[in-house]
Amino acid sequence: MNAFELSIVAPALLAGLLVLSTHVALGQEVLTRGIIFIDLAIAQVAGLGVIAADTMGWEPHGWRVQASAVSAALVMAVVLNWTGKRWHDVQEALIGAVFILAATAGILILAGNPHGGEHLKELLVGQILWVTYGQLFPVAVLYAGCLLAWFVFYQRIQGFGFYALFALVVTASVQLVGVYLVFASLIIPALATRHISSRNSRYLWGYLIGLAGYLSGLAASMRWDLPPGAVIAWGLAIFALAFSWLAPRRLRE
Amino acid sequence: MNRSALTRSILSGLLLISLLAVANPAAALNVFACEAEWGALVDELAGELATVTVATTAFQDPHRLQARPSLIASARTADLLVCTGAELEVGWMPPLLLRSGNPNIQPGRPGNFLAADFVRRIEIPVRLDRAQGDVHPQGNPHIHLNPNNIARVARELAQRLQQLDPANAQQYQTRATDFLDRWDAAVERWEIRGEMLAGKRLVAHHTSFSYLADWLDLEIVATLESKPGIPPSASHLATLLEQLQPARPLAIVRTPYDNEKPSAWLSQRLAVPALLLPYTIGGNDRANNLFELFEVTLTELGALVL
Repeated sequence: MNAFELSIVAPALLAGLLVLSTHVALGQEVLTRGIIFIDLAIAQVAGLGVIAADTMGWEPHGWRVQASAVSAALVMAVVLNWTGKRWHDVQEALIGAVFILAATAGILILAGNPHGGEHLKELLVGQILWVTYGQLFPVAVLYAGCLLAWFVFYQRIQGFGFYALFALVVTASVQLVGVYLVFASLIIPALATRHISSRNSRYLWGYLIGLAGYLSGLAASMRWDLPPGAVIAWGLAIFALAFSWLAPRRLRE
Repeated sequence: MNRSALTRSILSGLLLISLLAVANPAAALNVFACEAEWGALVDELAGELATVTVATTAFQDPHRLQARPSLIASARTADLLVCTGAELEVGWMPPLLLRSGNPNIQPGRPGNFLAADFVRRIEIPVRLDRAQGDVHPQGNPHIHLNPNNIARVARELAQRLQQLDPANAQQYQTRATDFLDRWDAAVERWEIRGEMLAGKRLVAHHTSFSYLADWLDLEIVATLESKPGIPPSASHLATLLEQLQPARPLAIVRTPYDNEKPSAWLSQRLAVPALLLPYTIGGNDRANNLFELFEVTLTELGALVL
């Protein structure tokens, strides 16, 4: 990849690194708690907030759109925290149902919108190539705060705290990279590293797999001129599989 | 090698490079065309003098586009962007221009050429309301299927090419005159062939053929989309079926990027042919340049009335 090509994918790569910084850590927790589909549900609900704000005619990327997305996601966090306590045994099923309802509500809201199909697809696939440095700065600030909270208060974060942190993080990432990449960044590195006993090396290997996935995905996208979001998801999966096969056994002790 | 010898060899190297550049006039301009029809027009007017990248094929809806790295790369190095405008590309052009970081092709610059600026647009909405669907405030943007619009755009585009690449101005002028002579003669032939289509009634999937209808005096009696850009709904198709039953249209026309199912549904129930027109260059294997595009379109439509 030469300097010219690098300048084309650099904002996308930075967006990917930002998303990984939070998602690899949160993904471990999501997997431990067995609430895999929570990010699909929260991302979809945040997306629903964006769609609803868009229908109001509010300016895209404006603060009102962000407020709408964050509030939708936070309301969902409250609801999921409550259902997690009330119906703990069926929490994963409830999360799945919430995902379907949020997705179909988006279809209904956009039924009369000529760009509806594009909005829905963009929410899923994302348009990581259109990301500009200006969009990344506020997300970087938000994520720095979230990561600080996560690592400093890790022992005490549970219940609503976890869901709220999750909602904030996912609301930002879904608008940068789309639902598919949010899910892939969260779950795939966590899945590959789940047998590693030490928390620190779990994180380290998770970040490395994520980094390799994004780098290889963007390089492949550049090489064969493919939509980057979809290739990155495959890049993550390939490196996760390779790690699972080749990882030294002592990591699992 | 001492210092002055080094300077001399660098200077002579630079001189050699610049001589090579002058001696080889091929591909003086990098052109980014949003749609295949404008790519083909640049080919006619610039030939070897331009390298053209076309962003969408006949099978892709120019309203919407998935971002790929090559799009940003070619927008970044483009000297000239040739697009339809009139908000056809509004969904993807602003982020592409922003990410291109290329000052030459930004709106208002000579390197930003929007074809719709130079033709009389039809279907300009009286009232702007999102409830009306994907209405473009500047009118219907699918301007290229009226060949008189192609001629108007060709004249403006030839001037723009000369402005951006004055060294080759004479060549652009010659090519434009040659193209317009051939084009005007072809339009005359097409208009004679098209006379038998005058007054005929068509149903279109989207408002993609309004300029063709305007030129040939065809009447588009309905669109399968209830509002522009809204996918055809079952209830709207049922209404159309009832409404069109007494006086059947000649055909139901669509572009290669429209979904064929609504056409097929109505075609079967009305017993009227569903016709896939090429719409732009590459829309079928016989429409490989602007002349062939109109030839094929007229042949396909003409076959319906013979």
